Amino acid sequence: MDAITWFATHFIGLFNESAKSLTGLITGILPLLIVLLTAMYAVTTWIGEERVTRAVQWAGKYAITRYSIMPIISVIILTNPMAYTFGRFLPEKYKPAFYDSAVSFVHPVTAFFPHANAGELFVWTGVAAGVQQIAPDSYARLAVLYFSVGIIVIIIRGYLTQWITRILINRGGHKETFERFDEMYAAGQIQGAKTEGGVL
Amino acid sequence: MSYQAIKIVKGRGGWGKGLVLEPTAEKNVVLSVTGGGIHPVAARIAELSGAEAVDGFVNNIPDAQVLCAVINCGGTARIGVYPKKRIPTVDIYPGEPGGPLAQFITDDIFVSAVTPGEVSLAEEGAVAIGSETTTDAAVAAVESGQAPRAAAVQATGFMGFVIKFGNGIGYFINTLLSSGRQALKLTLNTIIPFMAYVSLLIGIVTYTGLSNWIAQVVTPLAASPLGLILLGVIVGLPFLSPILGPGAAIAQVIGVLMGTQIAAGALPVQYALPTLFAIDGQVGCDFVPVGLSLGEAEPETVAVGVPAVLFSRQITSPVSVIIAYLASFLLI
Repeated sequence: MDAITWFATHFIGLFNESAKSLTGLITGILPLLIVLLTAMYAVTTWIGEERVTRAVQWAGKYAITRYSIMPIISVIILTNPMAYTFGRFLPEKYKPAFYDSAVSFVHPVTAFFPHANAGELFVWTGVAAGVQQIAPDSYARLAVLYFSVGIIVIIIRGYLTQWITRILINRGGHKETFERFDEMYAAGQIQGAKTEGGVL
Repeated sequence: MSYQAIKIVKGRGGWGKGLVLEPTAEKNVVLSVTGGGIHPVAARIAELSGAEAVDGFVNNIPDAQVLCAVINCGGTARIGVYPKKRIPTVDIYPGEPGGPLAQFITDDIFVSAVTPGEVSLAEEGAVAIGSETTTDAAVAAVESGQAPRAAAVQATGFMGFVIKFGNGIGYFINTLLSSGRQALKLTLNTIIPFMAYVSLLIGIVTYTGLSNWIAQVVTPLAASPLGLILLGVIVGLPFLSPILGPGAAIAQVIGVLMGTQIAAGALPVQYALPTLFAIDGQVGCDFVPVGLSLGEAEPETVAVGVPAVLFSRQITSPVSVIIAYLASFLLI
């Protein structure tokens, strides 16, 4: 009898604990998230894809903006995983670095723009919830720091991956292939040209 | 009058896979039900197809004569009325199936967020909707009376201003409404299921005391800057990082565990920032080929890009922890 009682108590206890945690998440995070998502969807609709595409194409020209402004806009407007489609505006040799840069921003971005990666919120929210409990004053500052350190990190990743990509191209004997890609890009045959707009 | 087939695709924030329409002698009216006047979208459809644009607020047109209806509704009423009658419907607002008539709003007869730019001539061989249906009713309707000529293309003066103002407000509100719908859809499909799964996991882990056990293993690592850097090195290992990546599941669970440890005071608040980077050095390493092909990369680029990202990560993962550690002094 004792064993049965023990089992029953702990069986329910286990799920009670889970339910408590679920209540916390739903009352704590969900309402904020829904209104934020609504606002961000509306804003991205108003800004529009064409304007974003133009800004991104401009940012792709220079290394410093290619690994900062370009991934930031891509991730905020197109969200994970569609953000990587903007890689199509770049020459082949920059695509791995852009991907590395963009994908590394999908968690820091959630500190302010949870809609950009709503399926993977808990990297940030998990840690931040702990800080919120024990030191509520530090929460906002942690968000700012996570976001801004994230930007520094994606710039470093972009530059380093671009450099490693170049080494691998030269060492792997792909030099001619990529020179051909560069010529095609310079001639305006961007790979993205075959898909007309419609990325969103 | 010769008729041309036209193609209408959804605009930004819109819904539907697009329509192909071709007017016939019986079905040749583009009904503009946009609060007075002929909306530019309706005018454009009429111009390209050779059909006639008619103001639906002033004139009453038999349904059988209507090629398509142009509406401005993101809400509940008009958005469903024409689809229910199986009349192809072009919504100038970013509307989606919703309201009591949602079940009739299907992607074969409905497209939204359309501007004149989304209307074009159809390519050869595109099959127009309803072109195969017989139109006895339509013939009867034509006999009973010609479609009235369109009034002025746009109402002018004070009424014009009122209509424009109303349309502006309508666009604003309808975008918000459709954004809300989109947000809730995502919440329901992605976020709440994840919360349920995380809660169950956390419940089991905390109730069984497993969390203390994991904490005992990870906390020493997370309790010193060097340990965090080591964690950054480990998750960045090129053979490990692609395994740790998928769905950020591992990073998220560890994130939640670290959060509880911080809340319990077992870890200093200052370490929250380096921890965020230490548990996430592998982000996207599982997704490199897919991410690159989304960017329309050539196979050679994928072949070079995967090792490039993985090698680079081995260095940048611990480096990011160091930067975050230095930045964390700003936190206190």
